[in-house]
Amino acid sequence: MFNFESLLFLIIAGAAFTYAGIQLKNLFLLAKAHQGTEKRCDRLGERITLTVLNVLGQKAVLQKKWIGILHATIFWGFLLITIGTLEQFLSTLIPGVSFEFLGKTFYSGLLWTQDLFTVLVFLAVLGGAYRRLIVKPAYVTLNKDANFILLFTGLLMISILLMNAFHIMGAHPWYENSLPFSASLSEGLLFLNLDPHTALLLGKTFKWVHMLIVLGFGMYIPSSKHLHVLAAGPNTFFQTIGRSKGMKPIDFEDETLEQYGTAKVTDLSWKDALDYYSCTECGRCQEVCPAWNTEKPLSPKKLISDLKYNLFRNKEAVLKKDYEAVSDVIDHELTSDVIWSCTSCRACEIACPVFIEHTDKIYDIRRDLVMMKSEFPSEVQTVFKNMETNATPWAFSADDRDAWCEDLPVKKMNEVSSPEELDYLLWVGCAGAYDDRNKKVLRSFTRILNKADVKFAILGKEEQCTGDPARRIGNEYLFQTLATANVETLNRYSVKKVVTACPHCFNTLKNEYGDFGGNYEVIHHTQLMADLIQSGKIKPSQSLEQKITYHDSCYLGRWNDEYSAPRKVLESVAKKPVEMKAHHDQSMCCGAGGGRMWMEETLGKRINVTRTEQALETGASVVASGCPFCMTMISDGLKTKDHQDTVLVKDLAEILDDSLTD
Amino acid sequence: MNIYVCIKQVPDTETKIKLNSDQTWIDTSGIKWIVSPYDEFAIEEGLKVKAQFPESKVTIVSAGPDRVVDAIRTGLAMGADTGLHIELPETADHFITAQAISKALQKEEKVDLLFCGKEAIDDGAAQTAQLIAAAMDIPALTVILEAQYTENSVQVKREVEGGTIEVLESSLPAVIAAQKGLNEPRYASLPNIMKAKKKEVKKVSLADLGMSESDQKVKLKNFELPAPKAAGRKLDGTPAEMAAELVKILHEEVKVI
Ligand code: SF4
Ligand code: SF4
Repeated sequence: MFNFESLLFLIIAGAAFTYAGIQLKNLFLLAKAHQGTEKRCDRLGERITLTVLNVLGQKAVLQKKWIGILHATIFWGFLLITIGTLEQFLSTLIPGVSFEFLGKTFYSGLLWTQDLFTVLVFLAVLGGAYRRLIVKPAYVTLNKDANFILLFTGLLMISILLMNAFHIMGAHPWYENSLPFSASLSEGLLFLNLDPHTALLLGKTFKWVHMLIVLGFGMYIPSSKHLHVLAAGPNTFFQTIGRSKGMKPIDFEDETLEQYGTAKVTDLSWKDALDYYSCTECGRCQEVCPAWNTEKPLSPKKLISDLKYNLFRNKEAVLKKDYEAVSDVIDHELTSDVIWSCTSCRACEIACPVFIEHTDKIYDIRRDLVMMKSEFPSEVQTVFKNMETNATPWAFSADDRDAWCEDLPVKKMNEVSSPEELDYLLWVGCAGAYDDRNKKVLRSFTRILNKADVKFAILGKEEQCTGDPARRIGNEYLFQTLATANVETLNRYSVKKVVTACPHCFNTLKNEYGDFGGNYEVIHHTQLMADLIQSGKIKPSQSLEQKITYHDSCYLGRWNDEYSAPRKVLESVAKKPVEMKAHHDQSMCCGAGGGRMWMEETLGKRINVTRTEQALETGASVVASGCPFCMTMISDGLKTKDHQDTVLVKDLAEILDDSLTD
Repeated sequence: MNIYVCIKQVPDTETKIKLNSDQTWIDTSGIKWIVSPYDEFAIEEGLKVKAQFPESKVTIVSAGPDRVVDAIRTGLAMGADTGLHIELPETADHFITAQAISKALQKEEKVDLLFCGKEAIDDGAAQTAQLIAAAMDIPALTVILEAQYTENSVQVKREVEGGTIEVLESSLPAVIAAQKGLNEPRYASLPNIMKAKKKEVKKVSLADLGMSESDQKVKLKNFELPAPKAAGRKLDGTPAEMAAELVKILHEEVKVI
């Protein structure tokens, strides 16, 4: 049964598989040697659904239409053609073997789709080459790896077509009509005047060419960005389910912990390694990154590849688990400026077709810089000190926390006799309590609550900063001090439901306090306002004539998937709401997130000005906001553009409050 | 080198100062205490000298009630080696503080450098550094912006009124009182905060030093809060009218011109 050809194939394929296998094993061991931990095996059903949808269904890839269709074609073609490749391998190994036994109808159907997809993939490769070499979108870097892959994918398809064409010419098999494209090619090649023997020999030659390229590909994959064909599936499976996520807490009680945050790649987890393995360098993350788009040194794409190459450079030490010898994660490529440039807007994560989580890495590196090395932009030190002594990032006394509502009918929790009768605790937040502009927002919101007969109270002087700025900047220790104090207070009053006008407080209370024993139903004020409108408790008049545009806050939108409530509020009041060119999950950050609110912006252009320009493009005379920090950033942007007198920034609570008649 | 840094714990700058019921002192309940900012420069400078002379030991000294141990721990978290707490009542004056510090230090290892802030931000008296130097009979270099150290001498730039800079040189030991700008105080790293909890803070009482509260020279009698700020007044009219009105007010009401 075996002959020389099968023996030759066995040796070559064996060598190729062994080579690729060793490399893959090393990649696996490298990931496994990471010291950070990550559990991602819960909610199996949802994970399987997500994987099927996004791998087989190519859902996330198709977020971008044209390139998505090209990719999906290549991917589906790859699956179908791999069946054929398998058949070639088997028939070379054991002459005469074919998948015909599956039934003639099925087999000819299979061949027909394979033939079709061979041509489609070839066209998709041409399309891809056109995009890379002629269109050259800025976020796609021309790299040899990608061109090489395109070239060989093209060659693979050509070799299949020629293999089939010459085989048809020499043998005229019964299924020749099931290979319409190869058959036409065969006819086209008749001018060569080949005798059947030569034609069959050429057919076999191209079969070998195809098989050798496939094997070569197999050897090349583990060390190239094409590794995503193996890693992206698992990475999709192990993704964070749903949009909301909190940062992972550090257990400061654990006395064996000596390193807080990430100083070396190995301080991250296996999931982070799987992220780098999955990255296709498609550049979608970079295209939407507000830091990159305003000429900062941060590109989320480069961040991932820098981490990957750092891991590969340290391969020897990591495999030996000699962590001392692993070099630092911050180097001349991945500088601390890169790490400080991020606004935690998560545009990158939403855009990524393979569910890479960039922010987790950036924020764990910040933890090391801040807590272990005390290295951070110097202006942040005052912010930390304010939070340590007065539980607010601003230099204000805790005694003044409730001064904003001295003259308003707003109850404090310690004055309420039966807290269980309250509908909500109103979490004021530091901006609401201390920032003059934002105090007005809170005053408007409490007026709305009173009009709608919502029973609420505030913590007053007992409220402390949620700790969000400290946590995003990397000071997890300070964050936990504040978080545990707040949870203690909230639980003492048996608080069940919380409403807040600050998306940062909202996110922290909702997604992060659970880790410290604080489990509440938390809603954003725009959600409550939308509910009150819907249930008819308040009846706004749709009377606002001006053009008005809503700016999505990252922590409400991309972090918590809330895009509709603010728009419902707006539509109930404004006759002419308009969208900016970037909105919903594609919206652009104002520049304040990730603790950037508290840092100087010294590199590149200003993010807030860029976003303000987008707002101005709509011709709106009011920019609606649902976040105190967005409000500050856009107001500053308007000042820079000298539009502070022509365009207003208003919180949705103010807009709604204005429209309510007494 | 043996480096000592004398620090004072003061109410946070944002504190709303209230008086106690008999108006003899401030009401300390609910106050957030911090290390006086100028003293942070002093601590940082001590640590920088230690970085230059690695064999050095940095001791944080603070005189006051038990709460000042927290301030000492802040210094230890920044990287100082050990602490010395001299027990003094809340209302101790600068004289008794300086005396107690100088007596306590006589019992310690020889002093090479002693750092203070140029003043504490609570009473703003700027007394203690010089009084310690006098009690110890060593030079006092105050309001220092820049300093260079050798094993046995120091050269400093001192800020004089009007922005003039004096360059002084002194032998050691000496007292150096830090001005803002001398350095950028570091933020304690978490491992250092943890370590600081275990570092030694020695406690010394007045009696241990052969002193008593009656050594205090200044007794505080009565405190009064400043009158609340009057609301601002807006002048109307043409620029000429407003100017005339302003001159009238400054002359007749405020009597400054
Ligand atoms: S979170 Fe936003 S700023 Fe940070 S890397 Fe991603 S896209 Fe860029
Ligand atoms: S991280 Fe994701 S979006 Fe960014 S280049 Fe890699 S695969 Fe593309």
